[in-house]
Amino acid sequence: MTETEVFLQQVIYGLSNGMIIALVALGYTMVYGIVELINFAHGDVFTLGGFLALTVVGALGAAAILDPNTLSDSSHWLLLVGLVVTAGLFCGFLNVAIDKVVYKPLRRAPKLTQLVAAIGVSFILVNIALFWGGAPMEVFGGGNAAAASKDFPEILEGSNLLGEDSNVVLRLEDLAIFVITIPLMIGLTLFVNRTRLGRGMRATAQNPIAARLMGINTDRVIAATFLIGGFLGGAASVMWAIYNNTISFQMGFRAGMDAFTAAVLGGIGSLPGAMIGGVLIGLIRAMSDQYIETRWTNVVVFGVLILILVFRPSGLLGLKQREKV
Amino acid sequence: MKHRIARTAATLLALAAPAVLGTAALAADALANSVKIVSSLPRTGSANAQTTSMVNGIKMAIAEVGGKIGDTTILYEDWDDASPQRGNWDPAVEAQNADKAIADTSVVAYIGTYNSGAAKISMPKLNTAGIVMVSPANTASGLTKAGLGEANEPAVYRPSGKINYFRVVPTDDVQGAVAADYAKEIGLKKVFILNDREVYGKGVAGAFEARAKEIGLEIVGTDGLDAKASNYKSLVTKIKQAGADLVYFGGTTQTNAGQLAKDIVSGGLKAKLIVPDGCYENAFIEAAGAKALQDRCFITFGGVDPKLLKGKGAEFYENYKKTYKTEPEGYAVYGYECAKAILAAMERIHKAGGKIDRATVLAEVGKTKDFQGALGTWSFDENGDTTNRTFSVNTVKNGEFSTVKVVQ
Amino acid sequence: MAERRFSFFTRGQCIVLALLAATPLLDLAFPSIQLSGPMRTVVVYAILALGLNVVVGWTGLLNLGIAAFMAIGAYAFGILTAEVYPFQVGFWWALLLSGAIGAFAGWLLGAPTLRLRGDYLAIVTLGFGEIVQDGLKNLQAITKGTEGINPLPKPTVPFGAAIQSGLEIVGIASAPAATKAAEGVVAASSNWFEISSATPARWFYLYLILLAVVIFFCRNLEFSRLGRQWFAVREDELAARCMAIEPDKAKLKAFAAGAALAAIAGALFASHLASTGEPANYDFQVSILALCIVIVGGIGSITGVVLGAIVMVGLSNVVLPALTQAMQRAGIGSTENVLSSPDNYKYLIFGLALVLMMRFRPDGIVHTRKAVKK
Repeated sequence: MTETEVFLQQVIYGLSNGMIIALVALGYTMVYGIVELINFAHGDVFTLGGFLALTVVGALGAAAILDPNTLSDSSHWLLLVGLVVTAGLFCGFLNVAIDKVVYKPLRRAPKLTQLVAAIGVSFILVNIALFWGGAPMEVFGGGNAAAASKDFPEILEGSNLLGEDSNVVLRLEDLAIFVITIPLMIGLTLFVNRTRLGRGMRATAQNPIAARLMGINTDRVIAATFLIGGFLGGAASVMWAIYNNTISFQMGFRAGMDAFTAAVLGGIGSLPGAMIGGVLIGLIRAMSDQYIETRWTNVVVFGVLILILVFRPSGLLGLKQREKV
Repeated sequence: MKHRIARTAATLLALAAPAVLGTAALAADALANSVKIVSSLPRTGSANAQTTSMVNGIKMAIAEVGGKIGDTTILYEDWDDASPQRGNWDPAVEAQNADKAIADTSVVAYIGTYNSGAAKISMPKLNTAGIVMVSPANTASGLTKAGLGEANEPAVYRPSGKINYFRVVPTDDVQGAVAADYAKEIGLKKVFILNDREVYGKGVAGAFEARAKEIGLEIVGTDGLDAKASNYKSLVTKIKQAGADLVYFGGTTQTNAGQLAKDIVSGGLKAKLIVPDGCYENAFIEAAGAKALQDRCFITFGGVDPKLLKGKGAEFYENYKKTYKTEPEGYAVYGYECAKAILAAMERIHKAGGKIDRATVLAEVGKTKDFQGALGTWSFDENGDTTNRTFSVNTVKNGEFSTVKVVQ
Repeated sequence: MAERRFSFFTRGQCIVLALLAATPLLDLAFPSIQLSGPMRTVVVYAILALGLNVVVGWTGLLNLGIAAFMAIGAYAFGILTAEVYPFQVGFWWALLLSGAIGAFAGWLLGAPTLRLRGDYLAIVTLGFGEIVQDGLKNLQAITKGTEGINPLPKPTVPFGAAIQSGLEIVGIASAPAATKAAEGVVAASSNWFEISSATPARWFYLYLILLAVVIFFCRNLEFSRLGRQWFAVREDELAARCMAIEPDKAKLKAFAAGAALAAIAGALFASHLASTGEPANYDFQVSILALCIVIVGGIGSITGVVLGAIVMVGLSNVVLPALTQAMQRAGIGSTENVLSSPDNYKYLIFGLALVLMMRFRPDGIVHTRKAVKK
């Protein structure tokens, strides 16, 4: 492999990984923007999305509806979109339910109380994922070792689009991430900027009390925010699953940490910031793996983060916030 | 103020109640004329899959003697050395397990630990108390052998000067060498060595590296990976650029060996992969997917495939399948063998008319010689290590492990 | 403020300390649980959480990387005392020095990042935690990488030997102390002041005394000039600045003080285990636990934080193991599948406990009126 090929390859991997991180980060940043809660459980909602996707694929496979050998190319894509929507809706409504049951009664409690409640929810979801990995997977031939990683079947054909002899590998999965993620991001931006509900979200983020005075149903806005944030997390979990072909009950931990980092790096509360932050972290990881050493990658990522924040204390795109008086 | 104190007290009482009830239940059923074997393994979190099969193995061994040696009842308790907030082995919990075992005079044997790092914490404690400790999984060479670990190992783990720690698994130095020799044998030349930056993975990768240098394999790179990373595609590209035809990964299924195997395939790296016995389990095939491993991954294991065993081993295999309705894993055999060795020692004490207690069990386990177990015939040597040097090199064919070579 | 130079313990603090002091008695009643061991862990976490409380509770800076300072303390203690390193300064000097090293590390992290607001600071501290952990793993030449540093010395009682011989002369301590049930089966030494794994109760009491010292220190810090500066900065930085308080300096001192306490907790932890363990033992999860302790106990309240440590560490290290053990004894559960094994419910119980405590006691077990509103 020549240096150029290596660099190109790392850019592809960095972007793909970064896009997934960005999708998860959007969920963090949206919720934070509205209710100022670092939703620690977001990563674990994402995990459950992956498990749901695997269960659906397993069920379709068991019912012989899905046989990779007979499926046409377009139906692969159809299945993928179906999974994104299913997992997305599931995670969205799960997120809303968690908000209703746990966070909403604490809305007026100190911020850190909500944070610890979110940590508690995160533990509960991890446990649910563990159970999920144990019991139903057995039915689908996934083995009964609950804690072990699960193989996620290849939904898109895995061959190299640049030809089998090419040193640089570009696969359908890499493309799929762009094809699915970018429209989602555009749609989200349009939604927030153009629709009534989106305007309500921005107003609530600015000042919840004023928003309520202006006749905005902030409860609905908050629920919608959790729904959309969860949807993006669910979509991200499917992207993760088809990209890495593995899911495990603890996968939300690293995904959540990366996404949280990305959200803050971009300026927490800022949607484009989260996207840029995610992609940037993906790229830094790839470059550090290649040009430094994998064992130092975390140090590099967080080192860069600290450096950036020292010089831009509100993140890359964050607004310089006034101290609340 | 008064209210606050009262409420605080109520909260504390509510929390303390189950503990006290639990203790009461514990205190209640201390049987007369019984001894206890305990195991201390990480049962919460990602190692649960592996430790469950070990516990199954231990339980089966005890069930085979009917839970009794002579008229002494053998009780078994499965202790967790992990905590929920860590999701992995917790040094504080391992330390308190050791303390608990020491304090409970009916405990005569301690099976554990799973992680070599945890062993370093409980070994000196149990050594001082004179309780025999048999590990089904620790392979770090320094725990028993001088000159392979830190300068003060293994003496630091033996404050009493006596040996109380035994293990049924061959150590990393042997295993790493077997893997390197096999790589040379199948004509591989350039190796990239990875480890998971944990005691086990690092140890075995280090042993592989040492042997690889000795026999003239070219090492094109080494690195430690992050077991929690989402994938290793970037790392695989680096390996590809280095021109390696072999990747050696010192790590386990738990530290993401499955993901690595997948990324080697998807990254278009046409190299073989060799992994140690921490991956010799079905969960590894499940995580990596059979396709990614077929004929390109080799797994070394200290023993032979239970299916190929004769005599005792064949019995174990049949029994296990009958009891748990799954194929036994490599880990199950280790757990079973630990318990078997301890029970055999108790049997000998009983036959000789002795009393089964800590001292006699410790002495007798150390005398284990030419033991006919599921892993073959072996003894404990003067360091407390198994004399079993039988290694099998396995690959994966059609989603199942298949032995390609047995090294004596 | 008070006329006296020093304030001693409040009623709440006395009650908690007395409560802790009584735990070895439970060992006599229920020898199979051995509380003196886990209670040392409780004390360690209490000190760690008190350190975090200085930063989060009093100064209002969210720190998600307190485990990094614990790690620094533990490794500093290891390097200063282990026989494979040339220093071997002994328990007490190493304890003090690790505190100092921790304070320096806190200052080092604090200095460039003080300008950061709430959650930006949180992510920086989280990142620092990851950097320290990976650094300890990778800098093998200094830290032994994942091997851990051992053996580490047990605490010694200062002047213990002298007092002992004094007592012997007087004739009080002539006979070897009897082996108590609580002190394990290994015969305790006849020296009343010798601490070893055979005397878990003594070891625990020594740690308890250290905790009392830390509480005393915190209590007097709380109402000192500096403590009041912290509160002012927490409530309103701008107003504080108007009152001639330099928020940056105050924050930096809070960071250093918190880090020093965390490092001391780390050193005590390492001594308790006789090993530093692996760097991975001081990961993000530990920071999270410390934060939960502070919030569950009652942010800003010393009594609350110590109670929080008892509740949280007690839950995960004592109650849950005892519960699963009791279930095993009762024949409940099996290893057949994931749902049937009691161990697999630990996350669930732990998480539920957190959620419920927050739901019903959102201000923590001990609510201080002084705590921040927002």
